[in-house]
Amino acid sequence: MVVRGLAGLAGLLAVLEVLPRTPLVSADYLPPASTIGRAFWHLLGEGTFWSALGDTLTGWGTGLAIAVLAGVAAGVVIGSVPVLRAATASTIEFLRPIPSVALIPVAVLLYGTDLRSKLLLVVYASFWQVLVQVLAGLQDADPVAQDTARSYRLGTWGRIRYVLWPTALPYVMTGVRLAATVALVLAVTAELVIGAPGLGQQLAVAQTSGAVPEVYALVLTTGLIGVAVNLAARAVEHRVLHWHQSQRGESQAR
Amino acid sequence: MTVRIAARRALFAVALPAVLFAVWWFASADSTDFYLPPLSTILQKFPEVWTADRLMSDVVPSLLRLAAGYLLATAVGIALGLAVGSHRVLRDVLEPVLELFRAIPPPVLVPVIMLFAGIGDTMKIIVVASGCVWPILLNTVEGVRAVDEVLGDTCRSYGITGPTRLWHLVLRSASPQILTGMRQALSIGIILMVISEMFASSNGLGFTIVQFQRSFAIPEMWSGVLLLGLLGFLLSLFFRFAENRALAWYHGLRRAQRDS
Amino acid sequence: MQRRILGLALAAVTVAGVAGCGSSDSASSAASPAGDGKTTQVTVGVIPIVDVAPLYLGQKRGFFGSRGIELKMVTAQGGAAIIPGVVSGQFQFGFSNTTSLMLAQTKGVPVKSVVNGAASNGKVGADVTAVLVKKDSSIKSAKDLAGHTVAVNTLQNIGDTTVRESVRKDGGDPAEVKFVEIPFDQMPAALDGGRVDAAWMGEPAQTIAKAQGARAVASPFAETDPNLTVATYFTSTKIAQQNPDLVKKFNEAMTESLKYASEHPDEARQILTTYTKISGDVLTKLTLPNWPAQVDTASLEKLAGLGEQDGIFGGKKPDIGALFS
Repeated sequence: MVVRGLAGLAGLLAVLEVLPRTPLVSADYLPPASTIGRAFWHLLGEGTFWSALGDTLTGWGTGLAIAVLAGVAAGVVIGSVPVLRAATASTIEFLRPIPSVALIPVAVLLYGTDLRSKLLLVVYASFWQVLVQVLAGLQDADPVAQDTARSYRLGTWGRIRYVLWPTALPYVMTGVRLAATVALVLAVTAELVIGAPGLGQQLAVAQTSGAVPEVYALVLTTGLIGVAVNLAARAVEHRVLHWHQSQRGESQAR
Repeated sequence: MTVRIAARRALFAVALPAVLFAVWWFASADSTDFYLPPLSTILQKFPEVWTADRLMSDVVPSLLRLAAGYLLATAVGIALGLAVGSHRVLRDVLEPVLELFRAIPPPVLVPVIMLFAGIGDTMKIIVVASGCVWPILLNTVEGVRAVDEVLGDTCRSYGITGPTRLWHLVLRSASPQILTGMRQALSIGIILMVISEMFASSNGLGFTIVQFQRSFAIPEMWSGVLLLGLLGFLLSLFFRFAENRALAWYHGLRRAQRDS
Repeated sequence: MQRRILGLALAAVTVAGVAGCGSSDSASSAASPAGDGKTTQVTVGVIPIVDVAPLYLGQKRGFFGSRGIELKMVTAQGGAAIIPGVVSGQFQFGFSNTTSLMLAQTKGVPVKSVVNGAASNGKVGADVTAVLVKKDSSIKSAKDLAGHTVAVNTLQNIGDTTVRESVRKDGGDPAEVKFVEIPFDQMPAALDGGRVDAAWMGEPAQTIAKAQGARAVASPFAETDPNLTVATYFTSTKIAQQNPDLVKKFNEAMTESLKYASEHPDEARQILTTYTKISGDVLTKLTLPNWPAQVDTASLEKLAGLGEQDGIFGGKKPDIGALFS
């Protein structure tokens, strides 16, 4: 699996290497992979790069943790009580499409450029991803199982624990994977626009300086973090969902 | 659907927003903060700003671009999701590449898209699609992977293969999850519609909001944000209506299981 | 084996995230009046461009430290983040172009300019910004821009108002120019790809574009006013009233820095490598702005007039005296 994944990435690099040498796009604006690689290598030797990476990951990790906990908690409460679901649906749909970009002045106003303004944007964007997946997952619960639980006199908690939660879990995991990336994207975007310390801020400096290879090297870094995050999320998913249909076929082959 | 049920639904839909608006109204009533004006000021600006002309010249082009980008993302997301979900080798090869692209923030991706697609509407449609495609793709892949083994074997033993199998078995059993992805994508699409209009634009809802922000017309900016929320709400209503029609069999199945 | 790799990846991500090997300090200290021998931490919101070199140079030379000011620079993308930061007191000072400050004032944003930032060098054909076209373009001078698309980094701001003035002075019709908004760093690519007919660029974009063969047809700042004050450092009216001592010290230190940077252009060029990623050929070739110690009120009046003419202040008139005194 890892070998195949690396093959895919190698293919992407090959395309990147060849494309700038065609008349389609000039190497001035999209440098070939080797040039980006050199800039990337150069970055790895800089202390500022590592502290920026640490800042970005701190913002990402904290924001994601808050968003997942809050999203799951709110989702379970809202999703298990039909009245609440009906009462909150319109508000959720109203708040979700509001772009974090519009909240940037507010974030700066409240917290300047410190971690909290980054967290505000990250949590706002990724919370909805988790919440919506949790709600969808709870809705997908098997009615027969639900009735069985009722006839066995399982309480509300028991019903959530043994019936609703297992059905919702694959949805929740997809939600976490979606949210993990959205959180990363928002952390970098917040740094880019607000100037909070992190990879995004480095990116903004590279952009205004017209340092094209560095820009792409930083973009590549962000992408690679995304790949790492996904690997980690997949590992967690496999542990948590080993009993589920979507994972069963995979386990013998690993 | 009786009148009473409809009335109750409407009540549920407006109750909480009404409460929240009331809280906002009173909490911000004596706000002197330049960037957080009182809600009364924002609501006063709303009809002044969003006149019929403005809706025609700014909101309509935005919605058209959103629709085009969203449809493109749906087509690509489902097609790619079916392929990636059904073939392990393909999934293993493509997953890291897709994840790499997914983690690139749209404001950084836009310049790259501009290199290939120019600065016109094509670029904006691709930007919207590039963000919308992920939830659809991911949910489709997961939905396809979770196809019931017994049903799969049944199909195989009856010799149902190829497109028939795809349509009747795979798409059907994955559709609840695909639709969840499409629902997620809708609100992401609105966000990306705004981001795409921050570059090389001359009209659009996102463009207008950013212009307001830049020229310090803060109440006007907030009225635009409210309009975005309203738009999201209306689109989700529309989506739910379409979803109920598309998934009628599924809800029917659930009901039948319940009544049996 | 695979599980181990996954485990390692997971561990690495977690450790890096939890350990937070970052540089962020969550304490945003408020500025307290600087007494004798006490240092005040001052946060300044800037854009990482050539114009703010004197600030970094002054910090390095100790012009701020000797006055008890400990500078912390925050680099944002533009006014969208800097101005709210200053208004709310998260930053004590900010850097902004003068048209944006006038815009803010006419809309009632409580800001006040405290010291000069950067000015045009007055050289037509070799100024800090230029309108560039492709080598083989039919556009020969500013008046030919009428009927064509010109990229600016921000619409309804200092770029399009001064470009229109260049067209006007050259005898063209400024109303016929179509402006489109593209970030500076994307302009060379957009121009080269034929997406726009011309682009108004600052540094280092214009040096990069010229190296690729682009040709300058107008110098909007110098053509508007050879002494045009392009940008200044500003603060909130609250700090200006409550902490005049700090504002005075910042003004003195900045004035000294501006003077030093004007006298030592090579050091100013060198300091760029500390806060930008400009390097090599571009670094030696790029045009430096002028850094006079005083704002040029006449040029600001003129700039305000151009903005009014283009209707960007919504029918109000900026009060230059109150804003830049």
